[in-house]
Amino acid sequence: MKGIGGNNLWIDLTKGEIEKRPVEEEMVNEYLLGAGYLSRVLYDNIPVGIDPLSPKNVLGIATGLLTGSMFPQASRHVVAALSPLTDVWGESHAAGFWGPELKFAGYDAIIFTGASSDPVYLYIQNDTVELLDASDIWGTSVFETDDWIREKHSKRARVLSIGQAGENKVRFAAVMNDRDRASARSGLGAVMGSKGLKAISVRGTGKLEVADPKDYLNQMDIFYERMLANPFTKERAKYGTTNLVELMNHIGRLPSYNMRQGVFEGFEKISGHTITEKHLVKPRSDWSCLQRCGRYTRVKEGPYKYIGGSPEFESQSSLGSRCGNDNLESVLFSHHLANMYGMDTISLGATISWAMEAWDEGLLTSEDTDGIDLAWGNHETVVKLTEMIALREGFGDILAEGSVRAAERIGRGTEKFVMTVKKQEIAGQEPRAQKSMGLAAVTAARGADHLYAFPVLDEAGFDKEIKERFGEQYLPEMADRLNPKYKGIMVKECEDFMVMVESVGLCKYGTQIPPEFYYDDVAQALRIHNGLDLTSEELQTIGERIVNLNRLFNVARGVTRSDDQLPDRLTKEGAPKGPSPGQVVELDQMLDEYYEQRGWNLENGFPTMDTLKRLGLEKEGKAVIK
Amino acid sequence: MTELKFVFGDPEVCTGCMVCVNVCSMRYSKVIGPSWSRVRAVRIEPGLDFPLFCRNCEDAPCMAACPNEAISRTSKGVVIVNNKKCTGSGECVKACPYYAIRLHPDTEKAIKCIQCGACVDRCPVNAIWITTENELNEKDADGRLSSLYEKHETELYNKEEI
Repeated sequence: MKGIGGNNLWIDLTKGEIEKRPVEEEMVNEYLLGAGYLSRVLYDNIPVGIDPLSPKNVLGIATGLLTGSMFPQASRHVVAALSPLTDVWGESHAAGFWGPELKFAGYDAIIFTGASSDPVYLYIQNDTVELLDASDIWGTSVFETDDWIREKHSKRARVLSIGQAGENKVRFAAVMNDRDRASARSGLGAVMGSKGLKAISVRGTGKLEVADPKDYLNQMDIFYERMLANPFTKERAKYGTTNLVELMNHIGRLPSYNMRQGVFEGFEKISGHTITEKHLVKPRSDWSCLQRCGRYTRVKEGPYKYIGGSPEFESQSSLGSRCGNDNLESVLFSHHLANMYGMDTISLGATISWAMEAWDEGLLTSEDTDGIDLAWGNHETVVKLTEMIALREGFGDILAEGSVRAAERIGRGTEKFVMTVKKQEIAGQEPRAQKSMGLAAVTAARGADHLYAFPVLDEAGFDKEIKERFGEQYLPEMADRLNPKYKGIMVKECEDFMVMVESVGLCKYGTQIPPEFYYDDVAQALRIHNGLDLTSEELQTIGERIVNLNRLFNVARGVTRSDDQLPDRLTKEGAPKGPSPGQVVELDQMLDEYYEQRGWNLENGFPTMDTLKRLGLEKEGKAVIK
Repeated sequence: MTELKFVFGDPEVCTGCMVCVNVCSMRYSKVIGPSWSRVRAVRIEPGLDFPLFCRNCEDAPCMAACPNEAISRTSKGVVIVNNKKCTGSGECVKACPYYAIRLHPDTEKAIKCIQCGACVDRCPVNAIWITTENELNEKDADGRLSSLYEKHETELYNKEEI
């Protein structure tokens, strides 16, 4: 096959053994690479019933089929393992240059088994692959590790690493790459830390040969023109995702004060316009990225002084409005610290905001918090706790367990304020103002998550695309974010498409928002880049297969319909204020429609045998569903 | 000789997307791979992305260094490599102060930017343009660009394999 590295690395960290295995092409036809490849390999290799932080867990990192290609936004890799936060399927993605570099070194994926007794890092320089002593960098930050490795080996090395949070097994620690790119969700940094693996340094000086070299540039020119002509691209380049604060506040979808409400009176102070005006150094791209949503920002002086890559809407919402915090410099700085220590800012801010609501309700006092004042909007507390959580100091040690486990520890009814699904904190989409996001959060394999489906077609007037992708008969209901009707159909379709996109290494920007490239464009790219002849229908089936295998992974670990649930606040208490007053998430209705659409059992949420048979997963189903 | 043209980039505008690098390797070598490109892109924190090209020097040290007279200047002022004469001695690579002429990993013959403009046309942020020494001096009257390049020259022109 063209356009890929060609080999995968299997690393036994216990024995210190490294094995190179060629990419299995039969598997590519069923799962592609990236997220699909890992869904299969980890399903086959992670035993049921293990502690996610034990050596028995398997950590996979994989690039997609198009990672390193010239397709717009083809920069991505995926990290996966059994999640120490959710105890079910854990998966997270990042952009950058690390993935393409791995391809140029001749590899597509790395699978780590076992655990090293002493800290190590993996050093890759084309054919040379070695485990090296990491004792000099254990205990240092993501930035220090990046500097140290590039100083020691090559300024041109691309580094993926964990910071102190991963070493300390913070349950929402991130795997970081290229300094400020984060595979943030699911706590996979803690898995890396539990394996004694500090970093992976990659240098690749090879090339990718493509299937259609003659026409490649012409075809890419067409994709580039389409991407650049899309009106979203200009907006994205200007604000990144930061101006979602003002857009989401406008529709009442900006989580504020934990998740009490979807509007924040201080939204302008933490808005994209304010960041752009006061703090933006420049937009930043990753490999082959025309959207350039990455930001490079700085705070010039004061206690929150920094310069670096950040932020993204999720961090403004989690560390800002969710904590009632309108001090923008503290939001930016806390995000910067989270990059430095290697942490997911969503779970970080959501866990702090859970504690703030418990404090507001009088259920937590300064005796619990080492004297830290958890009043809404206390920006010094947000920054201080970011550090204490990463280093597991004092009250930070409790919060480092995530909000579910922290609430179990504290008790006193604080669990009422935990805003999670399957123990993962809900991201920055107040679902009472966008029903599809509520459904997506419960069906996502990795626990509360907006990206597994990324159902944004009802968010910004994509009626034309809904008509093209689904059919006119679903309008206007499907496009109405407050109407639960047809959201099961939409979320199912979006999941299939998005896991396929994560398996080819493309970004959700350009495929889902704006919805510029669809199955036929990906099929075309796979043809000219990899020489793969897969139809749109086949790609959709592969997406469906991956979603079902992720589901079986979770069903084998006890997940049923009763776990596909939102906190009562979102399904029973009407939104108190904002443009969607009184709204709740009509979850049961949407979930029925979703299961039906998936061919899953309405009672327990298990895939039916007919569905599994159609996808070639009958054997797996029989082993799991008794 | 001041009308000699070259491609130049603004490291504060360039976002580091690699489109120029990839367009070049695909156009001339039909592969993707920074080592096959005549453009280099170097990211230096905090916040700089340098797209780097042949500077079309008036004295062109690469030309003088070639033991086989394989490098010459066309009537339009473009420095080109004659593949038939080039033996891959690498003397030009050593002589170039900008690491802008390198050996093609497959043919092992010298490759360099010939100011074709294919990358300039496709840069999504207009961070690169074709210019001359005089034009650039005018545009960069405050010395912002030249000082950024000077400040980081050690890292920018270090001849480690790409």
